[in-house]
Amino acid sequence: MKRRDFIKDMAVGSLLMKFHPSLLAQKKISPDLAWIQGDSPVLITREALSSLGGIKRFVSRGDVVVVKPNIGWDRPPKLAACTNPEVVKTLVELCFDAGAKEVKVMDNPCNPARRTYVRSGISAAAKEAGAKVLFPNPHRLKKMALNGEWLKEWEVYTDFVEADKIINVPIAKTHSLSRLTMGMKNWLGALGGNRNQLHQKIDQAMIDLAAFFKPCLTVLDCYRILIRNGPQGGRASDTKLCKTVVAGVDYVAVDAAGTTFFDLRPQELPYLQVAHQKGFGEIDLEKLIIEKRTL
Amino acid sequence: MKKERSKKYRVIQAARILIQSIFFILFFYLLLVTHYPGEDYIGHVEIFFHFDPLLAIATLIASRAFFVSFALAALTIVLTFILGRVACGWVCPLGSIHQFFSFIFKKSKLLKPQKNGDNRTAWKYYLLLFILVGTLFSLDLVGIFDPLSLLYRSFAASILPAINHGFSAFIGVLYQINTSSLADSLFQFFENLAVNSIFRQGFFLGVLFIGILLLNLSRERYWCRYLCPLGALLGLISRWNVMKLKIDPQKCIDCWLCTIHCQTQARPYPEEDWKSSECIYCYTCSAICPTSAVSFPIKSTPEEIVRVDLSRRKLIFTSLLGIAAIPFFRLSPSTRRASPKLIRPPGALPEKKFLQKCIKCGECMKVCPTNGLQPALAEAGPEGIWTPILVSKIGYCEYYCSLCSQVCPTGAIQELTIEEKTKIKIGLAWVNKNTCIPYILGTPCIVCEEHCPTSPKAIKLVKTEVKLPDGTIKTPVAPVINTDLCIGCGICETKCPVVDEPAIYITSVGESRSETNQLLLDLIKGGEELF
Repeated sequence: MKRRDFIKDMAVGSLLMKFHPSLLAQKKISPDLAWIQGDSPVLITREALSSLGGIKRFVSRGDVVVVKPNIGWDRPPKLAACTNPEVVKTLVELCFDAGAKEVKVMDNPCNPARRTYVRSGISAAAKEAGAKVLFPNPHRLKKMALNGEWLKEWEVYTDFVEADKIINVPIAKTHSLSRLTMGMKNWLGALGGNRNQLHQKIDQAMIDLAAFFKPCLTVLDCYRILIRNGPQGGRASDTKLCKTVVAGVDYVAVDAAGTTFFDLRPQELPYLQVAHQKGFGEIDLEKLIIEKRTL
Repeated sequence: MKKERSKKYRVIQAARILIQSIFFILFFYLLLVTHYPGEDYIGHVEIFFHFDPLLAIATLIASRAFFVSFALAALTIVLTFILGRVACGWVCPLGSIHQFFSFIFKKSKLLKPQKNGDNRTAWKYYLLLFILVGTLFSLDLVGIFDPLSLLYRSFAASILPAINHGFSAFIGVLYQINTSSLADSLFQFFENLAVNSIFRQGFFLGVLFIGILLLNLSRERYWCRYLCPLGALLGLISRWNVMKLKIDPQKCIDCWLCTIHCQTQARPYPEEDWKSSECIYCYTCSAICPTSAVSFPIKSTPEEIVRVDLSRRKLIFTSLLGIAAIPFFRLSPSTRRASPKLIRPPGALPEKKFLQKCIKCGECMKVCPTNGLQPALAEAGPEGIWTPILVSKIGYCEYYCSLCSQVCPTGAIQELTIEEKTKIKIGLAWVNKNTCIPYILGTPCIVCEEHCPTSPKAIKLVKTEVKLPDGTIKTPVAPVINTDLCIGCGICETKCPVVDEPAIYITSVGESRSETNQLLLDLIKGGEELF
């Protein structure tokens, strides 16, 4: 799908929503968030997707899908610096179940990609499920108009723009600037250029990026989260086992839900506040329909 | 009389070329796979060096310590003792390159082989002597001249990076002409080869190497013939040379072809001129002889080995020159005060020992996953040229990586497990508050802290009062280093958003390998403080 088409569809969609909210109401109401806890990362991911109405709601036959985990650091899964490989693998499998033509898994990491892809376990897991695991390719970078308040344009890997569907699969971690890094911050991994300069106004950067990337689904990996020394940790004691995934279409709501694992309220994170004010999504967990289950 | 070239020796010649190619491909293959293999531990990709008796002997003498892997060099010594310099003619990958270019230059008439010999063949023996005299006084220059070091270094830090740039440009062109699926696969393929392609002395090393290749325009295998100290050593070791040149006077038509085309000036014709210590058993002479007059029958009786004439006077002169040169190498200020930019890879021996062992081969620079290890120019004094230093502006020391220590062929970088490596300090980080963004602008940054790999982090973010030009005061968090936790990996410097001169940087002080290059006098390590 071209970006233009996407925007057009979005426009038509939102108009319909505005004037014919009944269109949605006619279907079976899916929850805003699926919040599933359990011992197996595979099963909780599958359960989260079926709670949301099944993968076919998000991925259509013949789609090219990009799954965007956080593969930022040369750290093994037990240190919770990168997305859980089982969660990523399960999502790839589900995409293929829905008839996806191709599933790409990629990130632009902080340590060398050849190392982070391996040590995170994501490369092996995603390949096993049939995904193409791609190293970020500078030839595929393109300066794009983000038209954000601060980020007017930036270099983006075209894989993320050309894909029919994007699924964002962040892991929940602490971060000394944005306090937490989850779904919205994960988009820094889709960029090239001097990303380290984005930290000068990180919250604004996250808002601008969130307005640009259009994930059809966000699955927040909270199986093992990083509660200290983020965003790369280093010791097992920096992590906490929560055995949960939170999934939803409203990526702001997903991040908002993520804050609770760190004993924070969504309102305490400035970027979530702004995202909510701008109408990107809901941060008041009370107002959301949440399907919370333990397997 | 039948006029015909010897079929047998032409077959042997072909076999030799095949074996040379195999060894060259093996060398090149081992070079290519010297990168992060997807596991923490890499195999013995550096094995070629262990068969090199020159490196074995020189590092043994210079460091007064025997490195076990060099036992393999005994094989080369025994082989040379019995068969002569076959290693030069059949195995040495640098020799094969020289021969290949000599062949090209001859075919293209750029090189006109000559009948007359000269006594420049003696140069390499003097060079060998010069090097060995130095090692007696722990000055190890062998890495500069050893053919394997020279080849590996040139390939790792110049030729291969240049090829990589070429392919990258080619892929760029493919994208422009819209064959992106091919370009995608090519890109992923080259990304997997992980060629480090930024080297500070890449141009210089390339010019040197190509210059050495161009010497073949003057004489065939110029390097092997006149300069190679390993060839000289093997020439001295050769004793038995069971295959001995024989020219059948009945068949010989005195055409000189054998001597003209001799690759190394061993001068097969006239027979009594044949210098067995110069012969590399390439069999060109016996294969090229138009009347099959030249042969190498096996004669197991030892005969007098004919060597290059070395003048005693020149040998003494060279030794004295070698000794006289040593103090000049010691004038470097690094002996008085540690050099801040002399940041050695983790596991590197104390500087003095390190210099006695490092052969400047570039294995560590090839394997480094971040391209941070670079050849030194003057940081380590004149004898330390091309030894590895970490240049954090280019790349940093990856936390869970000890590959450089595993591939070092001499133990100059001691082999480490990942566990051991993470505990080694190679330097310390310092914040330049004059350019650091929070300290100067009062705005947040935290990039260094975010990338710091230790747990707990060695970079703490502390609220700091900053005075802005208009007199207002801001209190951003700004980085402060915990020198106990910092291991000097340099990722903070690599990633610092102050692009030209990073506002956080590494210096060598605090490095684990040095007793004296320390910030604090810690006489009772880990002991309790009394006051």
